[in-house]
Amino acid sequence: MMKISVALILILFAFKSYAVTITLFDQNQKPLSNAVVWLTPTNKVLMKAPSTDPFIMMQKDRQFIPHILVVPQNAQVEFPNADSIMHHVYSFSKSKTFELKLYREQPQTAITFDQTGVVELGCNIHDWMLSFIVVVDSPFYAITNENGNVSFNIEPDNYTLNIWHEGFTDFSQVESESIQITENNFSYSLKQAIKPIVAIDVDEFDDY
Amino acid sequence: MSAINADAQLSYQQGGVGLYRYDEDNDGLLLSQGLLEFRYDLTSDWSAHGVMNAYQDPDPTIGFSQAYLRYQPLTNSRYKWHLRVGGFYPLLSLENPDIGWISPYNYTNSAINSWVGEELKTFGLEATFKLPGKSYRSPHSFTFVGATFKGNDPAGTLLSWRGWAMHDRQTLFNEAIRFAPIASLNTPQLQFQANQDLPFTEVDGRFGFYAGIHWDYLKQSQFRFYYYDNNGDPSVLNQNTGQYAWDTSFSSAAWLYKLTNNTRVIAQLMSGKTAMGKNRGIDNRFYSHFIMLSHKMAKHRFSFRYDYFEVTDIDDWQFDPNTSQGEGVTATWRYQLTPQWQLGIEGAVMDSQADNRAAIGFKSRFSQQQMTLTAQFRF
Repeated sequence: MMKISVALILILFAFKSYAVTITLFDQNQKPLSNAVVWLTPTNKVLMKAPSTDPFIMMQKDRQFIPHILVVPQNAQVEFPNADSIMHHVYSFSKSKTFELKLYREQPQTAITFDQTGVVELGCNIHDWMLSFIVVVDSPFYAITNENGNVSFNIEPDNYTLNIWHEGFTDFSQVESESIQITENNFSYSLKQAIKPIVAIDVDEFDDY
Repeated sequence: MSAINADAQLSYQQGGVGLYRYDEDNDGLLLSQGLLEFRYDLTSDWSAHGVMNAYQDPDPTIGFSQAYLRYQPLTNSRYKWHLRVGGFYPLLSLENPDIGWISPYNYTNSAINSWVGEELKTFGLEATFKLPGKSYRSPHSFTFVGATFKGNDPAGTLLSWRGWAMHDRQTLFNEAIRFAPIASLNTPQLQFQANQDLPFTEVDGRFGFYAGIHWDYLKQSQFRFYYYDNNGDPSVLNQNTGQYAWDTSFSSAAWLYKLTNNTRVIAQLMSGKTAMGKNRGIDNRFYSHFIMLSHKMAKHRFSFRYDYFEVTDIDDWQFDPNTSQGEGVTATWRYQLTPQWQLGIEGAVMDSQADNRAAIGFKSRFSQQQMTLTAQFRF
């Protein structure tokens, strides 16, 4: 019994993490949704090994799903095409340049994203198709909800808070700041303006 | 496959003056559209495209309605461009976005796009330059199109001697289209003209051209304007085929607007002129417009269209009157039974008048109607 108690105490010490909520605001003090937030620990011991499950960037109804995908560095991403027509997916972004011709019947092998950064995806056939894969060097990442919130189960320590949003003037830039995480929730206001986002709705007859 | 209950007036396809595709002697159960669209990637940038069609009317036929190569380089630039070379349609219609240039709305095309499907085809080179809104974070996207082509010299023949029509019978490469044996073909001036139209043939050796612009606001509003000129030399005749080069040019404006996600309005108007003969013995103006409302409700789509069309004869060859006009409504209900099977019913009525009918024993003005039940299978 004693042994079990000691073990329990040790486990509690080792995972002394708290649920911390961060709220993001834009320059007009409005909650900012759809922002990618990740925390890079200064103490690398806190880094967890990322999961090895492949991530999915699907093409369905002539759109990418999801619109924004966050993956840890070295993650594998599959690109299944659920449409009956071909897609020609490409990226010219610095952290990953590639092109894939995708047919529903011929799934392609997954692509490994081994460099951090923002990868902008397009389709050479359907001009409006757009999505982003944000490759981060941390297991602590999330996308803000409609209230601008993200939550992490995380140990109090020094971290770098990193933020990326589709409305940034330069897609490849990330806004970063050193912060100290305690058990308290906190908020952060962006230093840069957010450009309006153009979302194009399409149906099956729009690519003529 | 379609089951058709057609009008008594013999179709132009059978050499009659009827303006629908079918008639009482040529209806019942028919293969109305059989088509196979394919794309084959030759390299990363080059692809081969084709559409093969099979028709039972007026005679069992199989052939290509489109065949072309497309060059579309993948570029790291904000603008995009591509080329098409071969035989294809200018993309001036917003009514025919489905595979093989068919309409997902009505079965019977508008007068404008019935004519595009039968007498217009680009055999040449087309260049497209796109400014996608995505690249500029703008809701507006622009496309600029320019093309030059050979062939298509007889375009205008049907408008002049038959007038506008309404159907979904696309003309295949090298196909001929019949029209009624009008009286003026027996005059010395027109003695070399065949009683059929070979719309894609080259007669005068000159290049034609067209230019277009597409302007999309998101994809909610889509606007297209094209100017087409086959640059035909009206004095040139091919005596072997009985085809003249017609000097045909037109402007076309098409607009699609989505009132909601399920309801859209499509409208198009076309205005142009066509002339043939050394001294433009035949000189006509043509005009048509349509407006269509289409609503999708779960697996049902309802489309209702009104068409107006006219041809105005402005030459002084009294023995060859070309003036005609008419209007029609077309109502279609389609039901998507399974992803493969679609059922549909369409009713269409049209009233038309043509000055050249009386001389061959027809009433100058008559009404027609056509009822179609269609089962469509896709694989």
